[in-house]
Amino acid sequence: MNSVVVKSKEVTLLEILDRVLDKGVVISGDMVISVADVDLIYLGLKVLLSSVETIEKLRGSPFVGPMQEAR
Amino acid sequence: MKLYLYGIIDSSNQIKESIYGLKGAGVYNIPFCDIGVVVSEINQPMQKVTEGTVLEHEAVVENLMADFTVLPVRFQTLIEGRDNLLSTMQSYYRDFKDNLERLRDKFEFGIKVIWPADKIKENIIKTLNKEQQKKLKLGSSPSNKFMKDKFDKYKIDKEFEAKADKFIKVMDIFFSKFAAEKRIEKLKTENLLLDAVYLVEKDKESNFREAFEHIKSTRSDFKYLFSGPWPAYNFVVFSKQSGLLTDSQQIDLLNKVTQDQMLVGADSI
Repeated sequence: MNSVVVKSKEVTLLEILDRVLDKGVVISGDMVISVADVDLIYLGLKVLLSSVETIEKLRGSPFVGPMQEAR
Repeated sequence: MKLYLYGIIDSSNQIKESIYGLKGAGVYNIPFCDIGVVVSEINQPMQKVTEGTVLEHEAVVENLMADFTVLPVRFQTLIEGRDNLLSTMQSYYRDFKDNLERLRDKFEFGIKVIWPADKIKENIIKTLNKEQQKKLKLGSSPSNKFMKDKFDKYKIDKEFEAKADKFIKVMDIFFSKFAAEKRIEKLKTENLLLDAVYLVEKDKESNFREAFEHIKSTRSDFKYLFSGPWPAYNFVVFSKQSGLLTDSQQIDLLNKVTQDQMLVGADSI
């Protein structure tokens, strides 16, 4: 049960990162992080997000059952 | 003094609840006409992106979501001074307003479906092999074998895509019934069958959740991830003209900005 909770938290964090860093209104402000950094961050996140099952394999535990995030 | 932006909201009133943002700074609303931009003040240059700062940003947006319609602003957006901010608000007002109207009382939900791609392909291959056994065998020369392998791969990929389309179509029928808008991506990876976001009206949230539970129960060999409600991160749409106003429209708009609004936050910036 604990591992499922941990996984849920991890996935929730990935969902948050995907939205906060990669989505949202872009307006002509003073973007602080450099373009290269942004690209790297986005690329990393996309790879992670599209490979949730890979993360599970790397963690050495099976991807247990359907998951649902209650937020 | 720089202003750190969290979101655009459909209210020009001050936020009643005390909300703290990045580095514990107090968050407040700078009104522009009948909408507002929620900010905190920041003196030092932004540091590197950390999990903590991302969560602080998201916490503010979620707090706002409880009371307002929110257009979340991209993480780490800073504007130098209040005048620049008001100028930006003026330029984008029409787009902000249109989006706030469109997204009022709606939330975003994310759905990811992972299917066992290996097993799906195995089954496809088995079916194709059975079909081939019934047909006349080709010669066993290297060129024939090469052509056969190529053709088999093409048929497997085509059937794999067709199956994905079929599953997604069925799922989408259930979800779309309760959604105002959607963004769907198919097979981002072989295993990630569906990566979708749906915009759902508040009063249809429970129906949408039920539809998800129903889909989940029909294929228990698939893995599902449901997240939300989120502010409409994926559904803010800007016009091609960037919402820039003509000179006369700008004058009309500025006339609507009250003296009180012009002074919000002005004492510290």
